[in-house]
Amino acid sequence: MPKAAECYELELGHHACKYRWILSRHIIPSLTTATSSRLAISSFFPSKPRSEAMLLWVSTMKSDASSEDIIDEALNLFRANCLFRNFEIKGNADRVLIYLILFISECLSKLAKSPSPGDAVKQLSTLAVTNFAIPGDATFPLNAMYSHPPDRGQADQLRIYIQQLRQEMAVRLVERVYVDGKPSKWWMCFQKRKFMGLAL
Amino acid sequence: MPFNLAQEAIYRPCTMILLDYHNVILHDTLSARFESEKPEALDMTIVDFDGVLYHLSTPNSKTDIQISFKWRCFPELINYGANDILQREYGTMLVTPAQPGFDVTINVDLTSLPQEAEAREELIRKVSLLKRNIMAAPFERAFKEQEQFEDEKQANPNPELMAVHYREDEAIYVKANQDRVTVIFSTRFKDETDRVFGKVFLQEFVDARKRQDLQNAPPVLFSTREPPLELRHLNLQDSEEMSYITFVLFPRHFAALDVREETISRIQIFRDYLHYHIKCAKAYMHTRMRARVRDFLKVLNRAKPENLNVEKKTATGRTFRRT
Amino acid sequence: MSSLPVVVMDNGTGYTKLGFSGNNEPSFVFPTAISTHESPSASGAPSVASKPSYLSGNLASKRGIEDLDFYIGDEALANSKTMAVHNPIRHGQIENWDHMERFWEQSIFKYLRCEPEDHAFMLTEPPLNPPENREMTAEIMFETFNVKGLYIAVQAVLALAASWTSNKVNEQTLTGTVIDSGAGVTHVIPVAEGYVIGSSIKSIPIAGRDISKFVQQLLRERGETGIPPEDSLYVAETIKEQYSYVCPDIVKEFKKYEQEPDKYFKKYDGIHTVTGKVGFYYVNIPYSVDVGFERFLAPEIFFNPEIASSDFLTPLPEVVDNVIQSSPIDTRRGLYKNIVLSGGSTMYKDFDKRLQRDIKRTVDLRVKMSEDLSGGAMKAKPIDVSVISHKKQRHAVWFGGSLLASTPDFNSYCHTKAEYDEYGPSICRHNRVFGSVM
Repeated sequence: MPKAAECYELELGHHACKYRWILSRHIIPSLTTATSSRLAISSFFPSKPRSEAMLLWVSTMKSDASSEDIIDEALNLFRANCLFRNFEIKGNADRVLIYLILFISECLSKLAKSPSPGDAVKQLSTLAVTNFAIPGDATFPLNAMYSHPPDRGQADQLRIYIQQLRQEMAVRLVERVYVDGKPSKWWMCFQKRKFMGLAL
Repeated sequence: MPFNLAQEAIYRPCTMILLDYHNVILHDTLSARFESEKPEALDMTIVDFDGVLYHLSTPNSKTDIQISFKWRCFPELINYGANDILQREYGTMLVTPAQPGFDVTINVDLTSLPQEAEAREELIRKVSLLKRNIMAAPFERAFKEQEQFEDEKQANPNPELMAVHYREDEAIYVKANQDRVTVIFSTRFKDETDRVFGKVFLQEFVDARKRQDLQNAPPVLFSTREPPLELRHLNLQDSEEMSYITFVLFPRHFAALDVREETISRIQIFRDYLHYHIKCAKAYMHTRMRARVRDFLKVLNRAKPENLNVEKKTATGRTFRRT
Repeated sequence: MSSLPVVVMDNGTGYTKLGFSGNNEPSFVFPTAISTHESPSASGAPSVASKPSYLSGNLASKRGIEDLDFYIGDEALANSKTMAVHNPIRHGQIENWDHMERFWEQSIFKYLRCEPEDHAFMLTEPPLNPPENREMTAEIMFETFNVKGLYIAVQAVLALAASWTSNKVNEQTLTGTVIDSGAGVTHVIPVAEGYVIGSSIKSIPIAGRDISKFVQQLLRERGETGIPPEDSLYVAETIKEQYSYVCPDIVKEFKKYEQEPDKYFKKYDGIHTVTGKVGFYYVNIPYSVDVGFERFLAPEIFFNPEIASSDFLTPLPEVVDNVIQSSPIDTRRGLYKNIVLSGGSTMYKDFDKRLQRDIKRTVDLRVKMSEDLSGGAMKAKPIDVSVISHKKQRHAVWFGGSLLASTPDFNSYCHTKAEYDEYGPSICRHNRVFGSVM
């Protein structure tokens, strides 16, 4: 969806440049120091510290509460984007977006049995931390589009970062999707849609 | 059943052979309006066979549908009692005077429709039979006059020959006699092919009555060019294009009320029926002709010469092409 | 009898529109279908008697009337269980002349109830109809039906004429781009001064039927279980017709639905009629279906085909732009200025606005690029892009025919029976453009 990518770039504006910077550290890895990446990733979650692990990263960050971060963006764009099979990647922010959208799909399929909200958070949080592929792994579906971390250390760092994203998404997704104690059908109807024909 | 083709309909649905008596557009339009909850403005001009013009409109309010009717032979039909029929069939629905340029206007008030579905359907049907009912005038009069002959108490009437010039060069003549009613159609075939088809078709019509099971059908006579005896005094111009078809209706065709209604409906649509079937016959012939051409083409295609431009080998192994 | 209205017949692939000139709406709209008892022989030809019928005894009883045993339109579909249903028109062109001839037979006599000898006829044809087809049509019309006069108009040109009723149009021009979208296929047809620019026509395999299927798919994915399976396509069609509209931006639209669900989500109420298990009684079971994103996603497949199809991906605005760009350069401004919609699948609310915006965006971008390339030395005159939507859009082609056929000049444009008899079917190869009328 070239148009969406375009407006995404435009509308995200200030976020986008941050994301791109972060991702240039991680998804297109290069030499980086722990402190800078720590700052960088913390800028990802400017408003909503969720967990201990997160706090660790966000501790250095203070930001205005109204702005949306990439998790919110992914949730906003999910329903429109998952209808599409093609997506023009214009920047690294789009790579994170693609990953998150695919993760949302995976989460929704877990919610198909409509567990209670509490159970849902539990299940999705487990899903968020149980073994998942990162760029470079043979089972990662998007390997063609993402560059691989060059060494073990960077790979570990990337894994931690992605896990952060997943955990945060798991919590916010349940918040967003659950209406009156069960997953809304206006979300669940997209669980079978395969964004770009892919699934995690 | 007056017509022999209709007899064949015993084993085939007669709808495919006969034309409807009512106007389908009138019927459909009214049905749709009766159904819909929101009345809408309407302005529509449609036709029926033989140059009948209908105008549907809602000049006063959206719930008052006026149906105006115009036909060239209307003044003649008035003379034969069309007004009585209009009064009898439509009564208070009639609007006087009719819309300018039209002969009859009837009004359907959507706010006072009958509640029952059947009564509504009956009303729709009545309106969509407007042309048929007006045209029934000369027939009804003729049947009545014939009954007077039977009734010995009354003085013998002196029936006139009722002519209805319902198309530019074509007319229907109806006359009651001592024991029968004669209906004569004059019809004109503008096209030569049609004339031939018409002739064959009408001959069939006459011949088919010889069949045992059609003995009750009214006798049919037809002549081309020369008008039949009954019309001689009119000094009609002889023309190659004209044909005359005479139906002789006996009391058994119109004594009972339901048979009479059916007879009137059926006989007045005869001309259109005839021309319709001539066209169908032509279409059928075309279908057969196309099939034949396809068959011949198949044969011709089989006769394609073999491909001469192939490589051939000589005894020495060299190849060559014959050009 | 010269005052009788002209019969206007628009035979399309999916539907046939029949009526009389001067009216705003066709009197009949039914599927272009015919049902017959023919055995489906390979060639489709009826069996031809091997012996002439006069050799086989009683002529009257032996001559079959099978050729009259058929239904057309809705009745044809109603009889589909016992008869074979055929579609004589494929891709806009008449493919089976035997069926078409009989289709016309009933159209004229059973439905319109007129004597073809008394009326002139206005027929329509798709763009790029071979002249042989036109001759064949003329042959049937003049020889089988003896019509008084015949004019065969190109559908796109009639659609242009129909747009004259729009108050957005202030000159009656026959130059413009027609977007004709019916049940089966969508055409983009450039017309310059009444002539179709054949080489630039593009068609898109997305139209009404695809949209209905897409809605059906969305309902199924959401698990709208209340819908009786046999009604599922009908419900999808109804939802499409009653609730769908075109949105400016789907991401924002999703957001709106989330923020104000009461305003945007709708409900469709249907009644399922079930035959009772015992005896012949009917049970009416009411059901209701939530209507949600399909409201704007349905027509969105014109603008983003990939959400519903995997093999066709070019958005409609891009196709329109390509069509105009491939037309002769001196016609392009006229083509951009008068983009006319026609057919039921262009009836979505705001379809015109979105299309106009998207095309304008492409055009402006191109203009700006060429200005930039010239280094600011050239300044282009802005190109006027205007998409025209009007009230008669659904049956625009028929209405255009009705409009042109009721002009006093129609008679002078029409081929008469006398001309046909004099020169033969070839006269109908050419139908004069109504250009000089206006």
